[in-house]
Amino acid sequence: MSRGPFLFKDIDTPGLTGIDVYKKGGGYETVAATLGKTPADQVIEIVKASGLRGRGGAGFPTGLKWSFVPKASPKARYIVCNADESEPGTFKDRELMEKNPHLLIEGMILAGYAIGSNLGYIYLRGEFEYIQRIVDKAIAEARSAGILGNDVMGTGYKFQVHTHLGAGAYICGEETALLSSLEGFRGQPRLKPPFPAVEGLYACPTVVNNTETLMAVPAILKNGAAWHRQWGTEKSAGTKVLSVSGPVKRPGNYEVPLGYSMKQLIEVDCGGMRDGLKVKAIIPGGSSVPLLPAADLDTALDYESMNAKGTFLGSGGVIVIDNQTCIVDALWNITRFYEHESCGKCTPCREGTYWMAEVLERLENGHGKAEDIDLLADVADNILGKSFCALGDAAAMPVQGALKHFRDEFEYHVTHKACLANRRRSQAEGVRA
Amino acid sequence: MSHGTVMPVEGPATLAWSEKAKAEVADALSRYPVKRSAVMPVLWIAQREWGWLPPAALRLVAESVGLPESEVFGIATFYSMFNLRPVGRHHLQVCMTLSCSIMGADRLFKHLEKKLGVGHLETTPDGRYTLRKVECLAACGMGPCMQVGFDYHENLDEAKVDALLEKLK
Amino acid sequence: MARVTIDGRTVEVPAGTLVTDAARAAEVHVPIFCSHQKLPPLGACRICVVEVGTPRLGPDRQPVIGADGTPEIAWMPKVQTGCTTFVSDGMHVRTVSETAVKARKGVMEFLLVNHPLDCPVCDEGGECQLQDLAFAFGHDFSRMDEAKRTFDSEDLGPIVKKEANRCIVCMRCVRYCDEVMGENALTAHQRGVHTEISSFDRQPLACEQCGNCVEVCPVGALTALPYRFKARPWDLRQHITICEWCSNGCSVRLGVRGMEILRARGTEFRGVNQEYLCVRGRFGHEFVNAADRLTAPLVRTGAALQPATFDEAVAYASARLRDLAATYGPESIAFVGGEKLNLEEQYLLQKLARAVIGTPNVDARTRPAAAVTGDALLRATGGGRPALTFEDLTDAQEVLVLFEDLQGEAPFAQANIVRGFRQRDLHVTVAHSRRVKLARPRFKGDWLGLKPGTELALTLGLTRAALELGVPDGFPAEAAAALTASLAASTPEKTEAETGVAASAITAAARRMREASRKALLFGRGVLEHAQAPALLQAVENLAWALGAITAETSSVMAFGPHHDSAGALEMGLTPECYPGYVGAGDASARASYEKAWGRALPGAGLSAREALTAAAEGKVRALWIFADELLSSAPDRALVEKALEKCELVIINELFLTRTASRAHVVFPVAAFAEKEGSTVNSERRLQKSNRALSPRRGARADWEVLQAVAQALGAEWRYRSAEDVFREIARLVPGFSGLSYASLLPEGVRLSGPAMAPRLKAVAPAASGSGEGLWLLSGGVLFADGSLSARSDTLAKLAGSARAHVSPAEASRLGLSAGDTVELAGPAGLARFGVEVDDSVPAGAVFVPSAGSELNRLGAPSGAGLRVQARKAGAAATVGA
Repeated sequence: MSRGPFLFKDIDTPGLTGIDVYKKGGGYETVAATLGKTPADQVIEIVKASGLRGRGGAGFPTGLKWSFVPKASPKARYIVCNADESEPGTFKDRELMEKNPHLLIEGMILAGYAIGSNLGYIYLRGEFEYIQRIVDKAIAEARSAGILGNDVMGTGYKFQVHTHLGAGAYICGEETALLSSLEGFRGQPRLKPPFPAVEGLYACPTVVNNTETLMAVPAILKNGAAWHRQWGTEKSAGTKVLSVSGPVKRPGNYEVPLGYSMKQLIEVDCGGMRDGLKVKAIIPGGSSVPLLPAADLDTALDYESMNAKGTFLGSGGVIVIDNQTCIVDALWNITRFYEHESCGKCTPCREGTYWMAEVLERLENGHGKAEDIDLLADVADNILGKSFCALGDAAAMPVQGALKHFRDEFEYHVTHKACLANRRRSQAEGVRA
Repeated sequence: MSHGTVMPVEGPATLAWSEKAKAEVADALSRYPVKRSAVMPVLWIAQREWGWLPPAALRLVAESVGLPESEVFGIATFYSMFNLRPVGRHHLQVCMTLSCSIMGADRLFKHLEKKLGVGHLETTPDGRYTLRKVECLAACGMGPCMQVGFDYHENLDEAKVDALLEKLK
Repeated sequence: MARVTIDGRTVEVPAGTLVTDAARAAEVHVPIFCSHQKLPPLGACRICVVEVGTPRLGPDRQPVIGADGTPEIAWMPKVQTGCTTFVSDGMHVRTVSETAVKARKGVMEFLLVNHPLDCPVCDEGGECQLQDLAFAFGHDFSRMDEAKRTFDSEDLGPIVKKEANRCIVCMRCVRYCDEVMGENALTAHQRGVHTEISSFDRQPLACEQCGNCVEVCPVGALTALPYRFKARPWDLRQHITICEWCSNGCSVRLGVRGMEILRARGTEFRGVNQEYLCVRGRFGHEFVNAADRLTAPLVRTGAALQPATFDEAVAYASARLRDLAATYGPESIAFVGGEKLNLEEQYLLQKLARAVIGTPNVDARTRPAAAVTGDALLRATGGGRPALTFEDLTDAQEVLVLFEDLQGEAPFAQANIVRGFRQRDLHVTVAHSRRVKLARPRFKGDWLGLKPGTELALTLGLTRAALELGVPDGFPAEAAAALTASLAASTPEKTEAETGVAASAITAAARRMREASRKALLFGRGVLEHAQAPALLQAVENLAWALGAITAETSSVMAFGPHHDSAGALEMGLTPECYPGYVGAGDASARASYEKAWGRALPGAGLSAREALTAAAEGKVRALWIFADELLSSAPDRALVEKALEKCELVIINELFLTRTASRAHVVFPVAAFAEKEGSTVNSERRLQKSNRALSPRRGARADWEVLQAVAQALGAEWRYRSAEDVFREIARLVPGFSGLSYASLLPEGVRLSGPAMAPRLKAVAPAASGSGEGLWLLSGGVLFADGSLSARSDTLAKLAGSARAHVSPAEASRLGLSAGDTVELAGPAGLARFGVEVDDSVPAGAVFVPSAGSELNRLGAPSGAGLRVQARKAGAAATVGA
């Protein structure tokens, strides 16, 4: 039973992590067919035409990003896979790499070829140590098979890839922070411009792509841009792996064509809510994006539809919040996350996340004042667009979203010094965060 | 919650790489065109050797990658998975972020606190367990979850956790 | 150029200007914290956020003109940090729009979220950027009701106090320590709101203790312990003057309350150094306030020195001078010392000597065994061509440092090299027997670790290697052949055999310097006080030309005199063979203008300091006037000085303290310290700078020039100088190279002196033996915390220095059976001395390094050949370093 139309189609094939099974399914054929045969420029055009957009969260058109690498630069080029997957609610890259590491390697070779890179890195979050071992094994197999090295599959192209293990820092999912970390510094983001495509790793042209994005590349090059467009919408071509969590009957990763109904995903594919719970809110794209109230359940899962509703598709981490979960409590939880993960470089994020978490703690624990609600909104507004990188925005937007749709819950906390409903709290008596 | 480094700490005065670690360090260095980029893999090698990173280990790492000691210290303390204090044999890292929290992580953590008699960042007196709250482990659909060392344990409840702890010597 | 409009004011600035700097040009104030002139843009604190817009372009890619005739501006949706945004032509910036103000106020509020209300107990209060900006831009109330995050405060060593609660994580301290100082002593720990600045494992900072981290900290997170709780800035009068510790000539801002200097700070934007100071400049001023400053002149009656009035002392000194001159001739009087005097005082010193007394014996340099001539040094540093500046040094691609530990001798020069390496593309080659700081691997330079005593051989080897690459453009052709021929024996291989420096390293170093279009050649005491100084200096001049460091038009050479006005001493003719302005003393027609101006016949060339002391020991020189020099300790031949002082009938000394040398004198004049008098000085860039008075002289002390004038008048001279400026006016009138200058012309940046044009000498230098012998080479020199006799009288420096120790390499220590903390006895031809042992891997085998300050090394003997060798053995019991 196929779990999805594209990346998940054969993902559960037994032994897929081994190169023999991978090759039997047509793996690495595209490498042999493309390197040295299709000019790199054309590869970029195909990916552009396919409409593939970054699947990590930003949704930036992939081919366009590749085209920013200066053709004439004498510097080395680097292709980096952002496998830092730390956005709360997201666990798709984990499954993709755990089950199909060779597809990532193949995607990196092709992306590397497109931008003229001979060396790639896969930056894995530290907790994915077991994934690193799986990927390293696949890399070793590929090397032995002459697919990585000084003469990729006899094409004369040189390409090598190494994994690099992070050590527990969400900020390293931000591309310039990832590059800082990879270079051997504290993982703090860097000024843009210059953009990584021009000055990235070691000040050389670098493309940083998400795991899922890179894994889409081989099939696109094999089957053509139009093939990829069989799914999705005009602006959101292809498929997306959504990670669904929360009290649904069947949480997990689901690959759907972009534009798929979120209502269908949750109510049908995930089997709806368990334990008699109802949907109160959904965070559609990882904790960084504003939540949607249950009324917006039937929003299409694509970039433009989510934008129209004032939120983002983001990483595709769909977190379902039930009617027995307190929004204030949930927001406090998310805000604490950003406080812990803030790198500390810039004032608004470093101090603002601390402040918002403190205010939310008081509100949640019944010590909130009426002014606190507008204060929260104002603090979030003072962070949004003022911080050094998007983590500040990621901390501010959930606050704004929660206040926009659930202000009444906040007011209830002030007047009643209690939650409207809080299943977590009653189950864990006296739990302090 | 911080990842709790309050230096200075006691530790051995000097440390040296084992032969095996030395080879791993050399391999790590070979993967990057710039030496300092190996600092994270070498920190991991050191942490695997000694279970945590005492100052002597940080010095050794600094020497191996050609960085000032102070910088290596700054780098190691930036990342929450580098242990700047000793940890127990089994490092129980419980995810507390939203999805797991919705699914009962707080209750699970409370249970562990009561059962082990230690709180966040604390180690049982017999050195067997260190308990810790961590952020999202990318197991959101399978929460509550916990990493023990590097091993994932998912879809947990109190009974499963009790059974797991039994097995962890 | 780019035209930028900021809050309606349009300015034209060079392309590549940052918006914050353009704002400054437009006189619009944009606040900053993390931004610093010496550090690349960071954009972390966000206080400088402004609205930025560019002309909206139409389909024809031309600016769309609006209804009012001006280009329509497309404003960026998010505010931008001015300190990271480069201007573009036509850019508009709004700093006080509603959006910009709200953003700035927001950042201000965030800065105060965790920042404690410590102002009443914080040393920064009154000069705190955060305070100032909170007042200017912040709210007058706080909405932040939560508990603040806290840290423990800690002392990061004896200099730096850290109150981490106050830190705004601007990272200036960490970056400055990394990129300007090259020390990497500080780092940020943890992340997020728990980010804390500290040292490795919270150990006391093992660094240069410069205190620049305190200087650049915009809040009171880092403060200086020596100054802690002493004063508020509004209690202080702040005066900018020139630091007196080395020849770099940094500007220092002294904070004075009443009659006491309480602290020294950098000047932020002024001088060659701006905010930078080294530990000596910053904390070395304490000697000025020392309790044992001399407060009255002393005259020897019988066996003891007795206090006297100034007039009594002047009368006595002048009467004795007159008698001795009359009886034995003016040449029986010699003037030694004077490198620490201001230019005006140096001028009057030699005028008193030559024009009033009539003696030719004037020499400021008491330390060298064989002093070089003033014109020889001028030739070696570019023959009058405009000298290298510190900015040039930072910008150089290749720097060659010859036999100088810049950390001890010229810390600011070292900082420029560090910054050039960290921020630009500077590569440094250090030729030194010891692996000094700049030779350490982290600066990715090249170290030519030559055997002690082989400096001349290495210089010749480098010269030959350079000429092997061809004769550089502009090299005087007639000299090339002869010079090349003279270097036949200095092949790379032979040089390697003698110096221990690999032949390939020698040729590579020469090639790098030749091929660099921006280069710098640096040297100092290591050449000037070398036992073979005259030959070595000539070899350095030859090398400079061979490397293209001196060309027909330019000079890229910088020399560091031992003292802060050594360069002034040369300008003012405090050398026996030169009159002021490098006018040759032996050249009668050249002297004529001075004879005319001063109204009498003038003597020719005279004795050097060394010769004068020898003559004094032999009874031929009968009077010595010593200027601020602890001669007994600083002169290479201690026995000679002892004998000279004993035999001399009249010893006059100008001093701050009753030093050992002073206590042998017949007349002691207490004089003003650098901060207590006005004048001008010349630094190692040959920059003439105004030095100012920050406080009145200690009771009983006068400026040296006043003492000189008093004695001159008592001897009948009609001197009527009312101030140092009067003297300067005469210098401007009479001395070549100073014409047209005034004190006013010295502001704000000083004046770079040049000329007289001197033809290169490029004489061949014969290789000299470095000398065989038994024992360890005795290496010495200045170190950061200990410099001359004054640093021991500045508590902070004295504590940092501890007592002088003997440094040996681990191999040598093992051979001698020494461990750290043991006592070693060094025996030289003239005597013994004991020192505590320090095991130091920067010292080569076969040598022992003892800092010159406070060690009285000349007890062991005077150098001969290329240096001094000593025997070393472990001493039994612990002993103090005695006299």
